[in-house]
Amino acid sequence: MRPPADAIGTLSLIVGVIAFLIFVGVEAALVYAIWRYRASRLAGEPARFESNRRLEIAWTAAPALILAVIFVLTLGAMAEINGAGVAPAMRIAATGHQWWWEFSYGGTKTANELHIPVATPIDLDLTSVDVIHSFWVPELGPKMDMLPGTTNHLRLLARRAGSYDGQCAEFCGVEHAWMRIRVIVQSQAEFDTWLGAQRLPAAVKGVDGERVFLTNICVNCHTIAGTAASGTAGPDLTHVASRGTIGAGVLPNDVARMRAWLADPQRYKPGSLMPRVPLSDADLDALAAYLGALK
Amino acid sequence: MTAIPLWVRRPAGERVGWLRTVDHKEIGVLYIGMGVAFFAIGGLEALLLRAQLATPEATLVDPETFNQAFTVHGVTMILLAVVPLLVGFANYMVPLMIGARDVAFPRLNALSFWLSLVGGIVLYFSFLAGGAPDTGWFSYAPLSERAFAPGTGVDYYILGLAVNGAGTIIGAINLTVTILLMRCPGMAISRVPLFVWMTLVTSVLILGAYPALTAALVMLFVDRQLGGHFFDPAGGGQAVLWQHLFWFFGHPEVYIMVLPAMGMISEVIPVFSRKPIFGYGFVAGSSVAIAFLSFGVWAHHMFAVGLGDTENAIFSATSMLIAIPTGVKIFNWIATMIGGRLRMTTAMLFAVGFIAMFVIGGLSGVALAVVPIDLAVTDSYFVVAHLHYVLFGGTMLGIFAGAYYWFPKMTGRLLSEGLGRWHFWLTFAGFNLTFLPQHWLGAVGMPRRVFTYAASTGWGPLNLISTIGATILAVAMVVFFVNLARSLRSGEIAGDDPWDAFTLEWSTTSPPPPENFTRIPAVTGRRPLWDRKHPESRDKK
Amino acid sequence: MSETGFIPAERKPPALSVSLGRSPKIGQDRTLLGVVIFIASESIFFLAIVLAYVAYRDSGLATARANLDVGRTAIFSIALFASSGTMALATRARSGAWLAATMLLGAIFLLGQGSEYARLLGEGIGPGSALFGTTFFTLTGLHGIHVLAGLVALAALFTANLGRARAVREVAWEAVGFYWHFVDAVWVVVFSVVYLGTLL
Ligand code: HEA
Ligand code: HEA
Ligand code: HEC
Ligand code: CUA
Ligand SMILES: [Cu+2]
Repeated sequence: MRPPADAIGTLSLIVGVIAFLIFVGVEAALVYAIWRYRASRLAGEPARFESNRRLEIAWTAAPALILAVIFVLTLGAMAEINGAGVAPAMRIAATGHQWWWEFSYGGTKTANELHIPVATPIDLDLTSVDVIHSFWVPELGPKMDMLPGTTNHLRLLARRAGSYDGQCAEFCGVEHAWMRIRVIVQSQAEFDTWLGAQRLPAAVKGVDGERVFLTNICVNCHTIAGTAASGTAGPDLTHVASRGTIGAGVLPNDVARMRAWLADPQRYKPGSLMPRVPLSDADLDALAAYLGALK
Repeated sequence: MTAIPLWVRRPAGERVGWLRTVDHKEIGVLYIGMGVAFFAIGGLEALLLRAQLATPEATLVDPETFNQAFTVHGVTMILLAVVPLLVGFANYMVPLMIGARDVAFPRLNALSFWLSLVGGIVLYFSFLAGGAPDTGWFSYAPLSERAFAPGTGVDYYILGLAVNGAGTIIGAINLTVTILLMRCPGMAISRVPLFVWMTLVTSVLILGAYPALTAALVMLFVDRQLGGHFFDPAGGGQAVLWQHLFWFFGHPEVYIMVLPAMGMISEVIPVFSRKPIFGYGFVAGSSVAIAFLSFGVWAHHMFAVGLGDTENAIFSATSMLIAIPTGVKIFNWIATMIGGRLRMTTAMLFAVGFIAMFVIGGLSGVALAVVPIDLAVTDSYFVVAHLHYVLFGGTMLGIFAGAYYWFPKMTGRLLSEGLGRWHFWLTFAGFNLTFLPQHWLGAVGMPRRVFTYAASTGWGPLNLISTIGATILAVAMVVFFVNLARSLRSGEIAGDDPWDAFTLEWSTTSPPPPENFTRIPAVTGRRPLWDRKHPESRDKK
Repeated sequence: MSETGFIPAERKPPALSVSLGRSPKIGQDRTLLGVVIFIASESIFFLAIVLAYVAYRDSGLATARANLDVGRTAIFSIALFASSGTMALATRARSGAWLAATMLLGAIFLLGQGSEYARLLGEGIGPGSALFGTTFFTLTGLHGIHVLAGLVALAALFTANLGRARAVREVAWEAVGFYWHFVDAVWVVVFSVVYLGTLL
């Protein structure tokens, strides 16, 4: 099957050309009328024709035909972007949260960054835990809403490896603007190693930062596999350092930025459901170092 | 320059206060005044949006303010600016055009206006009461539920829209009865001016669509205030139910907003082409077709909700069908100009501008009706571009055409043609500069309703252009307001029939007397005034 | 410019060509036509609410079966249905007595509904309890409000009639009548969907 994006691309091109021709036709007729029949060019009374059945039929039928064509093409493309009967090689559960994404590979959880193998049909199972969100990565084609209480499906198929950015498309509250997605398309081999690594528990143990994390309210909201922390209100942090951004795109992910985020999330993402947790500078350093090490 | 009474030609000293008037002309003016005021407010809100979006990661306003701004901007422009403007012109002109002394229920007419206005005031009161609604103009559940919108903003949205809607419904009943029962002798339904036709169809649309909104609002009220579960998935409700109810109202609403404007240019184009409208029957009939279809397309706003391919295909087809009757109108307007003797007055400029710009919005609409394309660009700036091309490029330009055309009748004074041309060309340039780039922004991935965007997206330049366009648009609007103000005080005296027009409103004084006509006319054709001025070349029926 | 040149109007304004509904008068009388259009618009409002009830029927059916007293409500419904008859008589005979009967029957219906509300709320079933409560109270409540409005209209007509019967505009009777029959018709639907619905 073709990537959905290609199917949409072709269709958009066809519809675009048709629309452009109609546009040119109408505007040309308009300009011609204005120029040809301007008052200064005609002395005396103008013509008095008021109707013409043939014309009316013509300009009712012609658009009807054009639309019939467009509609048939539409049906074709609709079938195609749904996978055209090709079974997916893998299903990934994607869950919308205010204002971040959770991706689950059969229980292995990560956030905001979706990894998929190249040239492989994938189905996303989309749902939401709060309000309506919408999964949209423009270069990968169509978007699909995530509704609480229902599961929608979206077929993904990326032809080229690389990193594709997207964003939540359905208005979902204060930080709708900073609910960004990054899709990393990689070779099957790379993907397998990545997934393997994600399946492992926390990379570092027994460091200071871990103590700070476990002795603060962090644990109420976050999970770090291999520790007691098993909260679900926020992103899974088991491999947080392996992700490119913090806070669904507001900050690039490095230890310095991590420390800044922890010091005051509201400063970078006002309204975010991650509260400001008062911590000593020492604790912040330790915490940032610890999370920064969770590759 | 002799002072002439504005709006209504009353005997000296016999002035009725605005609060107590039941004269359809003065109520029409009240509606129009409300519309202009809210248009200015909604426009300023829009400028705030554009200012914030001009550059990436800007911090001019905080997210809450931005979300309130686009929500209130949308509600204001649609329900408090455009609808009152259109209803206002209908109120003033319909009785005059059908040779009646007033509407069917003058007191009810006053009631509808005051309800509409109070609804708007209630909505704006939310700003003082701790925050305006910030859930978007269609306020999707569950975001609008208590759990996610604990503030009072949404409650004011519910109350404001319900009251405003009640006013609009009563007004529609009034206009429908007026048009059906109060036409002057000889004014068969097949002879009424097209603006009246469109008003009739619009009223029917209102009567069919607004109740669905009221019902949805009541349910949301029950959810928020009585702990109900209509739209609360946790309690077994369905978020999608709100969308069905809202768009069952919302889509007809868009034709409610465009048909009367189409009616206006259907009056302007023939007069300034010095020809009868081409294909009267088809222009009128196509409106009826549009009205029917518009109740069967609502789910084209929900293609990405996951209703299923069959549903999507059906609604895609019905949506495309609407292009056909709409096209019929476009072609008939052009055919009216063909062979005519065109006077390019400001009114005519705006009428032609309507056709030129509306076609763009219409075509992008058809693109959106193509499900796969919609799935790509829904909830993106492409939709924002579409809706402004039809609503500003269509409706607003039509309203401006009507304003330049009828202002002399309502005030006895002409608007300045010089300023009018500035108004038109600035609007034309500013409008396209603002909204044309948004098609691309949407196509490359800029979602709507974002208070900012990452610099890395590269959306900056096009947004800047859009903001510059909006500024030019603002200047254009200021020119218009100046033109209004100047003409109200010292505009050139118009006389009763400055445009050598065709229809009855021009047969009485400018402005008309309280009862409109000293003698109820009887008509024999579609252009009674033409027939009277040119007995030699009366319209043959 | 005056209107010289027009044919002076001696004919009456044309009647609406299509005669709406059964009463031919609707085609000529503003008030009646207005009321009919209003009712048409109202029916769409109720249609939306009824559809919402139907959409959620299944999730509430068990509660409905367990807690709704169909027989008892049927009796009160008969009162409302009967009131349509008395209203028809009242309109035909312009009779205040029949009006009073209509109001009485309407009031009885409301009492029935009130007592049922009291019972359900007593059992802890309210608009917020569960989906059944939400939809049930919204639908029946909105209908109840309309009955109340109808009663007010009836009362107004009644008093005006008591006063100077001649002053009451002929159409007022018909107009109020239409509205009352409408409120009644809505209940036919609501009763079938909500109450009889529990039987199948
Ligand atoms: C005046 C208001 C107005 C008008 C007239 C229209 C007209 C149309 N609209 Fe638009 N629409 C809106 C106002 C309007 N719309 C608004 C406000 C929204 C956004 C709501 C929101 O989300 O906030 C919206 C959104 C919207 C959507 C949903 C987009 C999304 O959210 O995903 C769709 C999808 O189908 C759509 C389709 C159409 C179509 C098919 C028409 C057709 O009626 C257009 C018909 C006209 C023409 C086609 C041009 C003239 C015809 C010819 C020259 C004949 C030849 C043409 C062909 C053969 C194609 N509109
Ligand atoms: C008829 C309807 C209408 C009209 C006329 C407009 C007019 C304008 N709109 Fe808007 N718009 C909508 C209907 C309309 N809009 C709707 C329905 C939405 C969706 C809302 C939502 O998503 O919920 C929307 C959303 C919307 C957005 C997207 C917001 C977002 O998704 O984040 C933007 C952004 O550019 C925008 C811009 C504009 C601009 C620049 C104008 C300009 O044309 C405005 C021009 C007018 C002025 C500039 C005012 C001039 C007045 C003065 C200069 C003051 C003078 C004062 C006195 C004399 C008292 N509009
Ligand atoms: C009340 C719940 C809550 C608490 C307590 C909390 N967080 Fe969070 N956290 C969140 C949420 C929600 C997000 C997602 C924010 C967003 O992107 O909008 C988040 C995001 C993060 C992120 C960024 C993850 C990513 O991939 O973007 C890190 C790191 C983080 N939290 C660490 C912590 C630490 C350390 C603590 C304790 C000091 C903590 N959190 C306390 C809810 C919480
Ligand atoms: Cu999530 Cu917008
Ligand atoms: Cu629509």
